[in-house]
Amino acid sequence: MTTFYGIPGAAPFWHWTTLVHFLLVALAGGFSFYTAVLGTKDVESGRRLAGWALLFIILDLFMLWAESPARFRFTHFWLFLSFRPAAAIWWGAWGLAVSALALLLVVLRLGPARTWFGILLVSSTIVLLYPGYALAANAARPLWDHLLLAFFPVTALLLSLALLVAWRGEEALRWLQAVSWISLLLALLYPVALASGGADQMRALALLLRRGLWFGAGTLLILLAALLARKQPALAAACAFAGALLVRSWIVEEGQHSFFAHGF
Amino acid sequence: MARYAMVIDLEACVGCGACAAACVLENEVPPGHNRLWIRQRELGEFPDLTVEYRPEQCLHCENPPCVPACPTGASYQSDDGLVLIKYERCIACGACIAACPYDARFMNPAGYVDKCTFCEHRVKNGQDPACVETCPTGCRVFGDLDDPESPVRVLLEEAERIDVLRPEMGTSPKLLYVNTPSKRGLAAAEEVEL
Repeated sequence: MTTFYGIPGAAPFWHWTTLVHFLLVALAGGFSFYTAVLGTKDVESGRRLAGWALLFIILDLFMLWAESPARFRFTHFWLFLSFRPAAAIWWGAWGLAVSALALLLVVLRLGPARTWFGILLVSSTIVLLYPGYALAANAARPLWDHLLLAFFPVTALLLSLALLVAWRGEEALRWLQAVSWISLLLALLYPVALASGGADQMRALALLLRRGLWFGAGTLLILLAALLARKQPALAAACAFAGALLVRSWIVEEGQHSFFAHGF
Repeated sequence: MARYAMVIDLEACVGCGACAAACVLENEVPPGHNRLWIRQRELGEFPDLTVEYRPEQCLHCENPPCVPACPTGASYQSDDGLVLIKYERCIACGACIAACPYDARFMNPAGYVDKCTFCEHRVKNGQDPACVETCPTGCRVFGDLDDPESPVRVLLEEAERIDVLRPEMGTSPKLLYVNTPSKRGLAAAEEVEL
């Protein structure tokens, strides 16, 4: 039996506001990426979506500011000017800033739009990638497996495509099914990846099996989205959005669990 | 430059908590948080029972995962090998808390991440950290690992066995333990229950 005099710093450090950030940053990255893909083919198609992508970035930055216990320092952008490539959040900050600037120039019709879309393609890819990197980089949190490097960008695209299908129908529908299947495959690979790890990963797998109801429900919804995409697009989009949101939120929330402090 | 480290003799620690109290007072640690704590663990089976009191805090790793995780450079390693935080650069994103394998960091309600500093403000004035100075059994020893005459080096050279927390993390901690009551090292996670 283990008891403590004093408290280890093992309480959850991210709260529901962080889960909202993980949703908004997924939509910001997904919409920006989709805008860039459309814009590099046809500038006007990209421009029609640019305002929405910019809105999600602004909402995400507002959420980050609002949830931060250090709101004053959070606005000090110069703190990010030093080069810190090992820090996922440094990449995220620059990805969001550059994406916002490129989108703003597109929306305001200033400068060469194709160049801005090219830049946006790179910066939005960074925005898609960095949340998974921010989690997977933590060797001390076994639920945040390296698989998240792929799972988070793919489910970010799924969340964005689900909204796009609801708003714009056919255009995004053909991608929704494919991305749903890929998300499903990665969700099914997640416990396999944990099972192939060391002792900590095995404990994480046991936690997933014991407390992973929402993870399972989310995975099921993604399966439904993949199956229904052709026949009932609106329902498929709702299932994809809810499924991806549930699975991602479960991983972020439960992944904070400290096996070192609490064991089982 | 010095390479500061702390050694804790677990056979001498009686779990009185004086170090934790001294730390709170010295560093004005907010209520509900701790820069150091003591893990109490029963070992063996009746009638061969013993108790291990294991103080834990920031290990000031030589290879600290919290430092590269920081996006603003608020977390850094001093020339003396201490892992410190520039509070005025911390945006409280929590990346360093996630990266720490030892749960040594916490979010200070004042809006920055906080943790043990080995009482850097005392050390640079030639004093020992508050926990070392307060310990009634002298189980904590602090000093320069590179100085052959430092009490830390002497204790380590005399020790039969030196243990660190979670060696598999590859962090090279500078909080070291000697004379573990189990004689088999520190508790593995599977031995821990709450």
